[in-house]
Amino acid sequence: MTRIIEITVATDGQTRVETKGFSGAGCREASRFIETALGKRTEEQLTSEFHQQLGQQQTNRQQS
Amino acid sequence: MSHIVQIQTEVRDPVAVTSACHRLKLSEPVQDTFKLFSSEATGLGVELPEWRYPVVCNTASGQLQYDNFEGRWGDRSHLNQFLQVYAVEKTRIEARRKGHTVTEQAQADGSIKLTVQVGGAE
Repeated sequence: MTRIIEITVATDGQTRVETKGFSGAGCREASRFIETALGKRTEEQLTSEFHQQLGQQQTNRQQS
Repeated sequence: MSHIVQIQTEVRDPVAVTSACHRLKLSEPVQDTFKLFSSEATGLGVELPEWRYPVVCNTASGQLQYDNFEGRWGDRSHLNQFLQVYAVEKTRIEARRKGHTVTEQAQADGSIKLTVQVGGAE
């Protein structure tokens, strides 16, 4: 899956940053440069996919 | 999809301010001390259409100073448009700096969606 960062800039200049196609916590690191550059973070929402991927990574580590 | 972050835009980049002014066909922003109605403000002054006083961007703090007398001396929508275009230009600058490609798409609700391609699949 292609890794993308989607930034939606509302008509009042507020932004919503969404990552797609990243593994687990890697998405946070990937989009941090844009988040920091744009301003102050007011809210973060981790999706179910984030938790699923993180859980999968932990399972893989336990098995190896 | 992995995570979603909401961000309050702060105007901290003079280059992105200048780019936004060019894009909106505003006059070049100038670093100076400006007189507002009852105060003075130092920073990068942006002249919005039909605004009596400039919007002064303090790029060190990210804060804006302006006096539009609750809309009587300047339509808030012009300021919102400037903030939107600033955020778009800032995103483009930062993405290009990282070597990523950016595509821009206007949305039906007036928002602007930028898609940054980070690289190949993991």
